[in-house]
Amino acid sequence: MPEPSLVTRDLTIRFGGHVAVNQVSCAFHPGELTVIVGPNGAGKTTYFNLISGQLTATSGQVLKGGQNLVGLSPSARARLGVGRAFQLTNLFPQLSVLENIRLAVQARSGHGWRVLSRADSFTELTRKAEHYLEATRLSAVAHTTAAALPHGDQRKLEVALLMAMEPDIYMFDEPTAGMSLDHAPDVLHLIFQIKADPTKTVLLVEHKMDVVRKLADRIIVLHNGELLADGPPEEVMTSQIVRDVYLGTATEETA
Amino acid sequence: MSAPVSKPTVGDIAVKTAVLLIAALLCFAPFLFQDVRALEVAARICVFIVLVASYDLLIGYTGIVSFAHTMFFGFGAYGAAILLRQMGPGWDAVILGGLAGVLVSLVVATAIGLLSLRVKAIFFAMITLAAASVALVLASQLSHFTGGEDGITYRAPDVFKPSFKLLTDENGKVLRLFGVKLNGKLAAYYFVFASSLILFLVMLRVVGSPLGTVLKAIRENEARAEAIGYRVVAYRTFVFCLSAAIASLAGTVYAVWLKYTGPDTALSFAIMIDILLMVVIGGMGTMWGAVIGAVLMVIAQYYLRDLMGVAADATASIPLLPELLNPDRWLFWLGIIFILLVYFFPKGIVGTITQKGGRG
Repeated sequence: MPEPSLVTRDLTIRFGGHVAVNQVSCAFHPGELTVIVGPNGAGKTTYFNLISGQLTATSGQVLKGGQNLVGLSPSARARLGVGRAFQLTNLFPQLSVLENIRLAVQARSGHGWRVLSRADSFTELTRKAEHYLEATRLSAVAHTTAAALPHGDQRKLEVALLMAMEPDIYMFDEPTAGMSLDHAPDVLHLIFQIKADPTKTVLLVEHKMDVVRKLADRIIVLHNGELLADGPPEEVMTSQIVRDVYLGTATEETA
Repeated sequence: MSAPVSKPTVGDIAVKTAVLLIAALLCFAPFLFQDVRALEVAARICVFIVLVASYDLLIGYTGIVSFAHTMFFGFGAYGAAILLRQMGPGWDAVILGGLAGVLVSLVVATAIGLLSLRVKAIFFAMITLAAASVALVLASQLSHFTGGEDGITYRAPDVFKPSFKLLTDENGKVLRLFGVKLNGKLAAYYFVFASSLILFLVMLRVVGSPLGTVLKAIRENEARAEAIGYRVVAYRTFVFCLSAAIASLAGTVYAVWLKYTGPDTALSFAIMIDILLMVVIGGMGTMWGAVIGAVLMVIAQYYLRDLMGVAADATASIPLLPELLNPDRWLFWLGIIFILLVYFFPKGIVGTITQKGGRG
């Protein structure tokens, strides 16, 4: 097994008396796709926020290549190669699809501080952005504003932004949420491609079990902010404890 | 609803034509409008285009609301004014004063920026309001230095004296071109015009640069801009400083033109309100909006009273109307015009027209 690319050690965040993520220790490896499952409110998105920096841990560490990320801003973490797509679509609404992607490419390139050169003179940035446009099959709507896109395309753009960041760690938060059946395979195919690269680490929050089965190398289960199970998909999905949690909440939710 | 935004729309072209026309008019203003007041208006328009455009960098491009913009304008104006007063008329005083103004603006803007650009927009706006009030109070209290409420009168460099002859004929008299005396007043106007043009072109370059795209990203979605790797606080502080420095230079230019600097011309909140109105009327987030807004507003301020006087005379025989059109009520009509403009052009004149062209 290669060196882990990302490690969370006793990662904890408290909101007043509520512990949303409780001492989660977990190591992720390059070339591995880990799906994080758990009932609503289990702390999956909070766990993501702690890794990508939208929230700061109360205690514990997030280590990437031995460096502790806790205390760094989201932008610093992004520059260190931790990339994140969001569950609720989180785009630049009044900018075009191409501009959206170009911004992510440019952030990676470090050209953001150029004040007196023309933005469109950086043709290699535009070319890269167009590459991701094609990869996500958004070329046809390149000049449409993000706000005017149908929901499925917005989700794809969300993924395209993450890809354009070219991170080492890809974090997808329910990438196919609310997507129609004909759009979802496009996104899954993209994730499949990233997964094929042995230097990339993929973390994925997902509810749809068929998606989980198709993609997961490993599943971790969060429940009430705690790490409940961790292992290969077949093992985790058949374990009694996971069934209890899922069935338990299922009955609570229907009640 | 997929309107392509890459191609220029009819509205785009209309706006750019209008701006070019305004630029041409301002460029030849001394020859086209040969009276003192018109030149005063043209110079004020030039300076306010820069001032409003630099404010648009903040409010329109980055989404930062500041009430301290006149303060920076004032730093530049007072910098030049105090040194011109102390050192006598000369370019050294203008340049040193301008630099001093920029330096003070940068220091204050960095301090405000780093201390408070992390907080919510409304708190930031309040902090700038407080800073601007302090500057206003200081300017009126430190009267041995700033002239207090009376302000400072001084002389501009010799080239700008109305009696200075740029070109003379064989008799030693000032040469005329199309009936316009080639004297210091003309030189002063072109100093204002050229400085404003350069500053405006610099800003145009900035908004089209990679940095400009980051500013728009911050306006659109600050959290996501941060998440894809842009240090939002650093960018916001930078643009706040840049806009402060440009406002300060505009202040210096205006001080040289007016040969007087006081709270009313350089620091008062009335100017801040003018800037806000111009940016809203013209349209935020487009440098062109600053041009249109400044032109309309300055012209209205100077000529609405005259126009109303004419209208009141013309309608003298009709009851009530002359009363309504009495030049003393010009502010009332200005208010009504604003309300109508905001109602019919919710995104400002430029913003709304560009959009209309896109749909058509």
